[in-house]
Amino acid sequence: MEKLISFDKREIEKIEINLLLEGIYRLYGFDFRNYSAAFVKRRIEHRIRTEKLEGISDLQQKIFYDPLMMRRLFYDFSINVTEMFRDPSFFLAFRTKVVPILRNFSSIRIWHVGCATGEEVLSMAILLHEEGLYEKTKLYATDMSEAALVQARKAMMPLNKMKNYTKNYLETGGTSAFSEYYVARETSAAFHPFLTENVVYAQHNLATDQSFNEFHVIICRNVMIYFNKCLQNRVLHLLHESLSASGFLGLGSKEGIRFTEIANYYEEVDSDEKLYRKIHP
Amino acid sequence: MKLKTKLYLGFGLLIFLFIIFQLFLMMLMNQLNTNMKNAVDNYEMAKTAYKIQDSLNWYRSDSKGILANPPADLLKEFQDHKEQSYLEANQAIETLRKLDKREKSQKVIAELQSLSIQLRAIEAKTNKLMEQNKDEEARNLFWYDTWDVIDKMTSDATYLQTLQEDGVQSEFELSNDTTSIAYKFIFGYAVAVLIMGGAITFFILRSMSKNLNDVMSVFTNAAFGKGDHLPRIRVKTKDEIGQISIAYNEMAQVLEKHHKQEIELKNAAEEQSWLNTKIAEIATMYPGINNLKELAQLFITRLAPIVGASCGLIYLKEDNVFRRYGSYAGQEEPVGRESFSVGEGLVGQCALDKRPISLEDIPEDYIKISSGTGGAPPNSILVIPAEYQGEVLAVIELASFKPFTRLEQVLLEEVVSHLGINIKSIQRHIRVEELLQESQTMTEELQSQSEELQLQQEELRTVNEQLEEQFKSSEQKTHELEKIKNMLEEKAQQLMMSSQYKSEFLANMSHELRTPLNSLLILAKMLSENSGQNLTPKQVEYAKTILSSGHDLLRLINDILDISKIEAGKMEIFLEKTEIQEIKASLKSQFFPLARQKGLDFSIQLDPFLPDLIQTDPQRLQQILINLLSNAFKFTEKGRILLQIEKAQQTVFSEEKGNNLVETMIAFSVSDTGIGISQENQKLIFDAFQQADGTTSRKYGGTGLGLTISRELAQLLGGYLTVESTVGEGSRFTLYIPSLQIVQARLEAAVTVEEPQPDIDERESLEGMKILIVDDDMRNIFALTSALESYFVEVVFAENGREGIEILQKNPDVDLVLMDIMMPEMDGFEAIRAIRQVPEYMNLPIIALTAKAMKSDRKKCIEAGASDYISKPVHMEQLISIMRVWLYR
Repeated sequence: MEKLISFDKREIEKIEINLLLEGIYRLYGFDFRNYSAAFVKRRIEHRIRTEKLEGISDLQQKIFYDPLMMRRLFYDFSINVTEMFRDPSFFLAFRTKVVPILRNFSSIRIWHVGCATGEEVLSMAILLHEEGLYEKTKLYATDMSEAALVQARKAMMPLNKMKNYTKNYLETGGTSAFSEYYVARETSAAFHPFLTENVVYAQHNLATDQSFNEFHVIICRNVMIYFNKCLQNRVLHLLHESLSASGFLGLGSKEGIRFTEIANYYEEVDSDEKLYRKIHP
Repeated sequence: MKLKTKLYLGFGLLIFLFIIFQLFLMMLMNQLNTNMKNAVDNYEMAKTAYKIQDSLNWYRSDSKGILANPPADLLKEFQDHKEQSYLEANQAIETLRKLDKREKSQKVIAELQSLSIQLRAIEAKTNKLMEQNKDEEARNLFWYDTWDVIDKMTSDATYLQTLQEDGVQSEFELSNDTTSIAYKFIFGYAVAVLIMGGAITFFILRSMSKNLNDVMSVFTNAAFGKGDHLPRIRVKTKDEIGQISIAYNEMAQVLEKHHKQEIELKNAAEEQSWLNTKIAEIATMYPGINNLKELAQLFITRLAPIVGASCGLIYLKEDNVFRRYGSYAGQEEPVGRESFSVGEGLVGQCALDKRPISLEDIPEDYIKISSGTGGAPPNSILVIPAEYQGEVLAVIELASFKPFTRLEQVLLEEVVSHLGINIKSIQRHIRVEELLQESQTMTEELQSQSEELQLQQEELRTVNEQLEEQFKSSEQKTHELEKIKNMLEEKAQQLMMSSQYKSEFLANMSHELRTPLNSLLILAKMLSENSGQNLTPKQVEYAKTILSSGHDLLRLINDILDISKIEAGKMEIFLEKTEIQEIKASLKSQFFPLARQKGLDFSIQLDPFLPDLIQTDPQRLQQILINLLSNAFKFTEKGRILLQIEKAQQTVFSEEKGNNLVETMIAFSVSDTGIGISQENQKLIFDAFQQADGTTSRKYGGTGLGLTISRELAQLLGGYLTVESTVGEGSRFTLYIPSLQIVQARLEAAVTVEEPQPDIDERESLEGMKILIVDDDMRNIFALTSALESYFVEVVFAENGREGIEILQKNPDVDLVLMDIMMPEMDGFEAIRAIRQVPEYMNLPIIALTAKAMKSDRKKCIEAGASDYISKPVHMEQLISIMRVWLYR
C-alpha cells in the first residue's frame, strides 16, 4: 500500500483520463482516445472547473449517467475557432497557385474537413465564385459536431466579426466587394443563399469514419493539432486515400506533412501556406 | 661540299656563260650597225658625186644657151639657171669634201675645187667678151676652155662616184663576213653550254637524292606510334642532310623518353581514376540515407567487394562502446562480436590508437571465410578507424584471402575519412530531425492551445457581455420599475378621470354628433324627394350626394364608436338563446333587394344538422354577418354570394385560434365571386383602417373598420374569423362561434410572427448615427440622404475632398464617412489619406464609393486607408449592410 500511495499523481490522472475516454467510446461511440493528451487534459479540467466537480472520476460518474454532461464535454472537445478567410495568405496562395490548375477540370470536388461553423467553406465558395469556378464545384463540409453544422448551414456571421472578415477578404485578393455577399441585420450578417447551394454539410468523424468520395482538393486546417501522432497519421492516410491523383491538400499554418508517413507522396505547392500536391498514389 | 655551295656554283657558272654570250652578241650587233652606217654614207656620197655631174651638165647646157644669143627674156633665165647650177655643183663638192675623209677622195675633191675656180674665171672672161660683143672669141673660149674644164670636172666626179660605190660594196662584204662568223659562234656556244649545264645538273641531283633517300628510308621505318624504340640515321656527310640526321636522332631520343613518361602517367591516372570511381561510388550512396544502421550496412556491403575483401564488419561508436552495425559475407549468424569497448581487442585498440592495424599470417582456426564450395582462413586482416575531428566514430574490419594492395589501402584511407564526416552529419541530421519534430509538435500544441484560448476568450467575452447586459438591464429595470410604479399610480389616477371623460365624451358623441347629423340627413332626404317640384335635377343630385355622404359619415361614427367601445372594453355582450332561422330571415330581407338591384345570385344555406337554437348575442352576430355580406356585395360585380351556416368540422384550423378549445362550433361562411384579396393583403385587412390596397378605398369607399370590428366582435363571442381568397376569383370569410359553451373572456391575440417585420426594428439599429457623405454629384447626395434619413440617420455632406475634411473637423462626432473617389479638387484617395493622417480618425470607418468597372481603384482605396468599398450605383440594402458592419459596436 505504501507503494501505491507514492504513485505519481500525474500517472493516476493519466489513467483516469484514459479510463474516461475508453468509457465514452464504449458508451457513446465518440472516440477521443487518440486526441492529443495535453489537449484532452485541459478540456477535461476546463469542464471540471466549470461544473465545479471534484475530479475526473466525479466527471466520469456524471458523464456515464447524464447524456447532457456528455454533450457539454463533447462541445468542449470540438473547438470551433475559425474565421472567414482565416490566414488570408493561404487563400491568396490558393487563388494564385491552385485555382489556375482547377480551371482545367470539368467538375471540382472540395472537401473541407472539420469545417466547424462553416466560415472557411463560405470563404472558399466566395473565392471560387470570383474565379468563375463555383458553378462546377461541389463543396463537402464535414464536422463531427452536428451543432456546428447547424450553425454552418445558416451562413450567418456575427456582425462584430465582419470588420475583420472584410479585412481578410481584401487581403486574399478579392475581386469584388465583400458587402456584395451579405445582408447585415441587427446583430448578424446573412450570406447570400447561393453560396451554400453547392455545399453539402454532413457529419463526419475523423477518428472513426472512413473516406466517402474522391476529391480534387482537401482542406483540413487546424484539425489535426488536437490529435496525437497516431491519429494524425490515420487521418493523413484517410485524406491521402480520398485525394485524387495530383489533388491538392491544404493544412493549417502550424501543421505540415514533413515528418509524417505520407511526406514523400507530396510536393510543396507553397510551403509557407502548407499547400501540397499529391505526386504519388 | 655543302649542297648550297654546289647549287651556287652550278647556277653561277651557267649565268656567267650566259652573260658572255650576251656581250658577244651585243658586240656583233654593233659591228653590223657600223657597217650599215658606212654603206649608207657611201651611198649618200655617191649621190653627191652624181649631183656634181648633173649640175655641171646643166651649167654646160645653159652656157651653150647663152652663147646662142637667145632673146633677152630667155637669156636672163639661162643666166640665172647657170648661176644656180654652178652654186649647186660647188655646194655638192663642199659637202663631199666634208663627208669623205679618205685621202684618195680628198685629192680629187681638191682638184675639183681648183677646177671650179678655174671655171669661174673662164666664165668671167667669157662674160666680158660677150659684153664687148666679141662673140666669136667668147664662143671659142667656151668651146675650148670651158668645155675642157667641165669635162675634167665631170670625169673627176665620175671617179668620185665610182669610188663611193666601191665603198658600199666593200661594206656589204664586210657585214656578210661578220654575220657568218656570228652564226658559227652561236651554234658552237649553245652546244658547249648545253653539255656543261647537263653535267652540272646531273652532278648536283645525284649527290642530293642519294643522301635524302638514305634519310627517308630511316624515317619511313620509324613507327612513331609505338615510340618505345626508334631507328637512328648514320651520319655520313656534314651537309644539311647530315644535320637533319643529327636532329632526327635527337628527336627520336626525346620521343622515346616522352613515350615512356606517358605510359607511366597513364598508369597513374588509371589508378587514380579507379580510386576516384570507387570513392564516388561509395560517396553517392550517402545522400538519401538518414539512419546509421542503413548507412553502416550499405557502406560495408559496397566497400568489401571493391577492395576484394571476403568478409567485413563495421562497428559504430555508441556511448563509448563500438557496436556492430553491419557485416559483409558473414557465414555464421551473427558474424563476429556484437560490441567492443575502447581498448578492448583489436577493434578497441584501433579506436584507441586511431591508426589502422594490419594482420598477416592468420592462424588456421582464426576465422573461416566460406562459400558453397568450401572455406578457408583469410590471408590478411585490416582494422581501420573512421575519424571525425579527432574522434573515432567507427571501426571497420576487413578480411581477405590476398594481402591488401597499396592502392586498396589508399582507397580505404580515403573512403574511411569520408565515412566519419557522413556518420557525423547523419547523427546531426537525426538530431535536427528530432528537434524539428519536437518543435512541430510543440507548434501544433501551441496552435491548439491558442485556439482553445481564443474559444475561451470568446466564451468569456460572451458571458461578460451577457453579464454586462444583464447588469445594465437589471439596473435599468429597477429604474424603470420605479418610474413605472410612479407612472402607474399617476396613470391609475388619470385613468379614472379619463375613463370618466371618455364615457362622457362617447355619450356626448353619440348624442351631439348624431342629432345634428340626423337632422341633416332628414333635411337632405326631403330635399332630394323634391316634393315642391321647384328644384332643378342638378340640385336634386346634390341633395342625394349630401344624403349618401351623410349616411357614410353616420356609419363611420357608429364604427368608430364601436371600435372605441371594444378597445375600451366597454362593448357588452348579452348572451341569449338565438334562433338561427330568425337570423336567416333577417339577413334575407335585408340583402335580397340589394342582390336584385346588383343582379347578383344570393342564397343562404343551412346545414340540416344545425341546432335550432344557439347561445350567443344575436345583435353582435348579425352585425358581423351584415359586415361580411356588405363587403361581399361591395366587392362583387357579378356572380353569386352565398351564406352557409353549418357545424364546424374538426379539421378546420385557424392560426388565430386561441387557447380555448371548443369541440363544436358553428361556422358562418360568406363566399363571393368578387375581386378577391392577395395572400399578403389577407393579414392586413383585419387591421384598423386597412383595405386590400390603397386604391380600394377610392373605388369602393368604406372606412376599413368593418373587418376589424367584426374580428373583435367574433373574439368577444368566443370565436374567430378566417379568410380564404384568390385574387380575381373571390373570397370566403368564415366566422366560427361556439354553439354551446360561451367564453366570455376576451382573447389575447397570440399572434407570433416568425420573423419579426424587420423594417422598424431594423431601422433603429442605425438610429442616431451621423454620417458624412462626400460626393460631387448633388443627386447622389440627395438620393443617399433621403434613403438614410428614413433609417433615422443624420447626414452631413460635402462636395469634394477638401470640403469633406473641413466638415469632418466641424463635426467630430461623425460615425462613418461615405467617400466618392472621382471628385474634382481633391479626389477620394487623397481625402482618405488626409483623414487617416489625423490620429483621432485612424479608426473612423470610411467606405469608398467606386465605379464598378474600376477594379484597380478598389485596391487603391484600401491602400489609401479606406475600410471597405461599395460599387456605384449604390444598392441601398448593400450600403445599409456595410454600414451595420462598420457601425457595429
